[in-house]
Amino acid sequence: MIDPATLFTIVLMAGVTYLTRIGGYVVLRNRTLSARATAVMEAAPGCVLISVIAPDFVSKNPADLAALAITVLAATRLPMLPTVLIGVGAAGLLRHFMA
Amino acid sequence: MSISQATLSQEAGDRSGSEFRRGIMSCTPVLLGTIPYALVLGAQATQKGLRVVELSAMTGLNFAGGSEFAAIQLWTSPPHILLIVAITFLVNSRHLLMGAALAPFLRHLPRRKVFPALFFMCDESWALGLADARQRASDGIGPAFSLRYYMGAALAMYLAWVAFTTLGAMLGPVLGNVEPYGFDMAFPAVFLVLMRGMWKGFAAARPWLVSLVVAALVYLFVPGAWYVAAGALSGLIAAYVLAGDA
Repeated sequence: MIDPATLFTIVLMAGVTYLTRIGGYVVLRNRTLSARATAVMEAAPGCVLISVIAPDFVSKNPADLAALAITVLAATRLPMLPTVLIGVGAAGLLRHFMA
Repeated sequence: MSISQATLSQEAGDRSGSEFRRGIMSCTPVLLGTIPYALVLGAQATQKGLRVVELSAMTGLNFAGGSEFAAIQLWTSPPHILLIVAITFLVNSRHLLMGAALAPFLRHLPRRKVFPALFFMCDESWALGLADARQRASDGIGPAFSLRYYMGAALAMYLAWVAFTTLGAMLGPVLGNVEPYGFDMAFPAVFLVLMRGMWKGFAAARPWLVSLVVAALVYLFVPGAWYVAAGALSGLIAAYVLAGDA
């Protein structure tokens, strides 16, 4: 069975996401957005994603910081799967050998 | 041949079915690329205590990967509903721009077709649909936007996303707690690759740096999950202010 609080959260997530999908078509289609509004909307996803993983950047474990640096480097030049494998591999190995 | 395919080919000859197939074929390369992170999302969701059916409901109803990764990362039991919903909105706010960009090509379609079609709009199906519409417009094919091509790409993405996140959730408990092996680094890895895809140069990325610094400081000095809201909001303010000198 589904937990009620979980279901409620999921339904609300789905609702706001659907609003973003139809909102541009319904509300913005006959308007020109200001450069500022466009800049804010384009920056938003990245701002949220980097905020969510910000704690990893201030980890007190040197092995984790080193692994994160390797992952950042991999993410700038490799596709999804190799980046994930390198990140996970680096974190596992560095935690093992730097502990 | 299914009933719906048979009806379609009666209505519009062989072209509609081939348009649908053309959409599926175009999205196959990107679809294959999403499989690894669908599996990672599913597996991580079960580590956070979500049941398989709950994860399937999330990916099936919400169908927006970035926001689902953020939600799972922030998931607690019981969940911080307001935080997760607000973050979902912010991560998916780019859909507003995407829908606005697509709108001129949707004028020939009735709303009863547009509203369901937009439910399936993801980064990939939007990009393919828009690029195809521009191509057909320059080739003089009308209407420029092929709904069946778009739906082929969108439905293939949808089915693959829900199926592989669910598979990941079923495999999660088999893997057990994999944190000591560095599995948690999969999240920053996925996020960073997503951000690389949004990269438009250093100037455009300055708000991200503001978000990172503020979120990190708030995380260090304020208990709870406030760091996400503080980081995201300060980044948006920075984007607003910095846009002035562009």
